Amino acid sequence: MSFLELKNITKRYGPLTAVGDVSLSVEKGEFVSLLGPSGCGKTTTLQMIAGFVEPSVGTIRLDGRDITRAKANSRGLGIVFQSYALFPHMTVFDNVSFGLEMQRVPKGERKPRVEEALSLVHLSPYAKRYPRELSGGQRQRVALARALVIRPPVLLLDEPLSNLDAKLREAMQFELREIQRKVGTTTVMVTHDQAEAFSISDRVVVMEAGRITQIDQPYRIYEHPETEFISRFVGKTNLLPGKVVTATGAGATVSLAGISVPVETAGLSVGETVTLCIRPEKLHLTAPAGGLLTGRVADRFFLGSQWLYHIDGPLGTLMVVTPNDGSTPAEQGAPVGLDWSPSVVRVHRGAMAEAPDVALEVTG
Amino acid sequence: MTRNGPVALFFHALVVIFMLAPLVIVCLVAFTPENTLSLPTRGFSLRWFQAVFHHPDFVQSFWNSLWLAVLSATLAVALAVPASLAITRWEFPGRGFLNALFLSPLIIPHLVLGVAMLRLFAVVGAAGSFGWLVAAHMVIVTPYVMRLLIAAISGFDRSVEQAAFSLGASEATVFRRVTLPMILPGVTGGWLIAFINSFDELTMSIFITSPSTVTLPVRMYMYATESIDPMMAAVSALIIGITAVAVLLLDRVYGLDRILVGQH
Repeated sequence: MSFLELKNITKRYGPLTAVGDVSLSVEKGEFVSLLGPSGCGKTTTLQMIAGFVEPSVGTIRLDGRDITRAKANSRGLGIVFQSYALFPHMTVFDNVSFGLEMQRVPKGERKPRVEEALSLVHLSPYAKRYPRELSGGQRQRVALARALVIRPPVLLLDEPLSNLDAKLREAMQFELREIQRKVGTTTVMVTHDQAEAFSISDRVVVMEAGRITQIDQPYRIYEHPETEFISRFVGKTNLLPGKVVTATGAGATVSLAGISVPVETAGLSVGETVTLCIRPEKLHLTAPAGGLLTGRVADRFFLGSQWLYHIDGPLGTLMVVTPNDGSTPAEQGAPVGLDWSPSVVRVHRGAMAEAPDVALEVTG
Repeated sequence: MTRNGPVALFFHALVVIFMLAPLVIVCLVAFTPENTLSLPTRGFSLRWFQAVFHHPDFVQSFWNSLWLAVLSATLAVALAVPASLAITRWEFPGRGFLNALFLSPLIIPHLVLGVAMLRLFAVVGAAGSFGWLVAAHMVIVTPYVMRLLIAAISGFDRSVEQAAFSLGASEATVFRRVTLPMILPGVTGGWLIAFINSFDELTMSIFITSPSTVTLPVRMYMYATESIDPMMAAVSALIIGITAVAVLLLDRVYGLDRILVGQH
């Protein structure tokens, strides 16, 4: 049995289903992220684990104990809020000490434990300051220390890094993971930022319209997105509509606007409408006649470590990302060939959905 | 921020002078050694202040007013804290009605309230009771406290309370250790505004005070209808002084611009 288990959790607000039939098992010590666009139900799910929202249906078990109806103040979970939610009228020390006081930890024992928590987040010199005297990153660490000092069985993080600027966010990501490894606390994080979810999670749970659509390790979600939505939401992707023309036990051939492309997906039937999904970095630029397709460089963007090309060809505009290896890039307007290996092509059954939702995060 | 031009500055100065001049003059006259309200005076004297402090009726009325203001402000805060928490945070039937009810005394003329209270006191047989006078003042000052508290609570980040809950605090502890300290500027500001309003109140109090509960403004009014001497100026100066101290305190703990302009 898993350490934290959500079973068929549903939350309805009147006719609206915010979270529908969510089941999730988190192992002890694991770092799991709930990833999805805003309004997908990830925060509601977290609040149900925390005890601030009561599920309409389903059970939540923690270490074998049913906590579905337990009050938030009896669950003993550590929570870091998006706004940090520090007590503004208390010093850093008193903020961290508050939870120990509530648990009736003797006074003599509180001080060393608060100091230990503050040194874990590198804030020992700031114990006497007030939250308003700290920077965003420091407040974030106080919130983390306050949540961890009570030695919670589960740590819940609600968009913990979204209020930090880009550079600090990246540094805090790694630090968060390092601290989590050190204390070994089972952690559930809610985020809409896929880079954040991917870089620090053991597993990522993708949510869409109140439901879980995929639970997997980060690289598997990136390489094998189970739905077209995920392939769009997670990273950049080229989506190509086509029809299956031949199918064998080990693969198939798909016709894309008259061009036949081999794929390695089994179980397709001839005549079926499919959507092919190819990541931009899996495409290679070749000499004009050297690849599966030929096209022309419509635009190119220098991203520092990479080049992003827009290639116009018979299949419309495709995105291609190549590492910046120091060589001279293809010129704008130059004819190029495009090549890829059949093993990198993912096949989604069914027609392509309408143009991507504007609200989706596109993180390069 | 745009600077004011010379014409605007002149106009602002005129307005300020127009508003402050009577107060300044009353304060100056209070120090006159003469027997009439006269300015300029020939010297400087505290005789009229002495007269106030040796006038038993005024001393009694001063204490009446002080106790009345302290009690009605404190009770109004005690009532307004739970009321404004309920109104800002929960949806319940009658919420809009309750909100309007608490704020309605603001739009009822004190004269009307005075007549109504007089009638009410006669019916319940409470004429002359200090307790009922306090209750009547509470009606007048509670809306001010409510307004300030509702503003303080609306800008409150609920997740701070959730954080305290998640750390194991009970509901009572969260209120005592987190909610109340965080809305404390609103509570103190509300209390001071209530105090000032009650201490100054004349129109309604004229109707409902009895000889033993006459408040300072009422006592002044009664005295002034019979004779005008510099003692009036001395009492006025004292009231101006007390009010000024209260307003300064209010500015320190809450910020006057937040009350008057409604900024948070």
